[in-house]
Amino acid sequence: MSTESSTPYRKEGPNAIVELRRVSKVFARDKEEVRVLDNLDLDIAEGAFEALMGPSGSGKSTLLNLIAGLDRPSSGTARVAGHDLGSMSDGQLAKFRSSTIGFIFQAYNLMPVLTALENVELPLLLTKLNGAERKKRSQTALRIVGLEERMGHYPRQLSGGQEQRVAIARAIVNDPQIIVADEPTGDLDRKSADEILTLMEKLNKEFKKTILMVTHDPQAAERATLTRKLDKGALR
Amino acid sequence: MTLLGVAAKNVLRNKFRTGLTIFGAAIAILAFVLLRTVLTAWNVQIDHAAKDRIGTRHKVTFIMSLPKRYIDTVRGVDGVKEATWASWFGGKDPNDPQNFFASLAVEPETFLKVYDEISVTPDVKERWKTTKQGAVVGDVLARRMGLKVGDKFTMQSAIYPGDYAFEIVGIYTATAKSVDRSQFLFQWDFLNDSLPEKRRDQIGWIVSRIDEPSRSADISAAIDKIFDEKDVQTVTMSERAMNLSFMAMLSAILTALEVVSAIILGIMMMILGNTIAMSVRERTNEYGVLRAVGFLPKHVAMFILGEGLTIGVLAAILGLAISYPVVEKGMGRWLEENMGGMFPYFQIEVQTAVLAAFLSILLAVVASLVPAYRASKLPVTQALRRVG
Repeated sequence: MSTESSTPYRKEGPNAIVELRRVSKVFARDKEEVRVLDNLDLDIAEGAFEALMGPSGSGKSTLLNLIAGLDRPSSGTARVAGHDLGSMSDGQLAKFRSSTIGFIFQAYNLMPVLTALENVELPLLLTKLNGAERKKRSQTALRIVGLEERMGHYPRQLSGGQEQRVAIARAIVNDPQIIVADEPTGDLDRKSADEILTLMEKLNKEFKKTILMVTHDPQAAERATLTRKLDKGALR
Repeated sequence: MTLLGVAAKNVLRNKFRTGLTIFGAAIAILAFVLLRTVLTAWNVQIDHAAKDRIGTRHKVTFIMSLPKRYIDTVRGVDGVKEATWASWFGGKDPNDPQNFFASLAVEPETFLKVYDEISVTPDVKERWKTTKQGAVVGDVLARRMGLKVGDKFTMQSAIYPGDYAFEIVGIYTATAKSVDRSQFLFQWDFLNDSLPEKRRDQIGWIVSRIDEPSRSADISAAIDKIFDEKDVQTVTMSERAMNLSFMAMLSAILTALEVVSAIILGIMMMILGNTIAMSVRERTNEYGVLRAVGFLPKHVAMFILGEGLTIGVLAAILGLAISYPVVEKGMGRWLEENMGGMFPYFQIEVQTAVLAAFLSILLAVVASLVPAYRASKLPVTQALRRVG
């Protein structure tokens, strides 16, 4: 796994890998329009480790989804790693996600029928790598998160912290530029949460990953280099 | 690791539910195979009827007899190579009157020529011809009743009064599937000689071997024409036509069996569809994760169809594994031994097994289509929010 990103990057702001301009997201609920994000501008510098905080319903996850290419803005432009996400097709977005974004979820979301190694290998099934290469890269990712001894274990045989580490290995196995983490420590005890945050710091500092983390936990937010607060769809 | 491999592993996630589903589908396969085998076994006598064999009976009904002298007339008809006759004896074992089997009084020499698919050794044939009370029995009946060569066996008849003591001189086998291997065959002369004078020289029916199967209708017509002006008229038809006319009486039952087969498959599809839909719903969140990391809707659909395919394959394997012992060794043997006249050969045809396996797989995949479509169309963000 390289420590440098090799993806071409078209800089528009000062080192900004994420640029949102006047981005709004509106959902229709029971014939009513709910404006979750409202004319939001945001730049995230390449190599940053930012925390996003805010009360429930403030739009944190929606913002994360937009940046990760899981959703499109209702209006405005979202440019991530040089890609204008609003103009991309579903297929292009899927390809963008697989090559550029690593996901970490609160509930780990590992497949229980697959071993740690197989869970990590899963995103690589979309690549042209052969079986041996996929295995080698997955082993490397697990080594980075300190789980080389648990490669053959199933999720049920791992602790919560270990499961989240496997999820992190899965997030980095494709060597993405950006890692988005939605409450990565939400289901963990303090000790495990600290270990995960330390690992994320390592990914940011040693492997130069840009990390955007949604969290309710102030202690987690403190580990980020910058904390942004979102309220009623706008950054404060 | 491959996408299909992951799908196959997913099938085993809830082993109990998947096991029950596969077992349920396998039972449906068993029922399907059983019904199809009933149909094919029923048709065996039509499919394997000798094309060069015709039967002549009383014009009114099988039950009424023909004068024995008719056999000589039939043998003289142009195109008839050989003719034999038989009489239904209606014999029963006095010790076990519920034990049904076909018992026929025949003329050994010509009977074995006309029915050359009935196989006996030259030794047995010779002994049968020279032993007036001699009888040969099918290997299936012999096994069922524990009869062996040299045994004495006494029968009573619902048609002919008195006790008839026989000696088993041989066991016959068959070279064709359509032969009832549970018949009891004995010398017609023995029966005829035991009857009072006025009941003698009557036969049940005549079976002829003809030289040219394509002339079957002409020869049949010629035979019947001869007897048209006699006191007893006849009706003659090909063996296949005779079997078909018998089948026609049962056409409603056969149609019902076809319908039940289709219903069983419908039930099987609903069982599979329900299980797959439930498991897909429980895993919507996982499909959301897959989509998030870059998998396309078609990949999600492939996962689900792969699961359906795996279930279908496992159900087919288990269903056929159950079917062979149950249908062939259990029911098949019982039917061949007890209802050999209707089911002389009750075995699973290769085509039936292939059709059952194909339908199991096809229906499992079809049952997965709707869940696969719905899961693949669900927006990623919605799928990620879905829990259970």
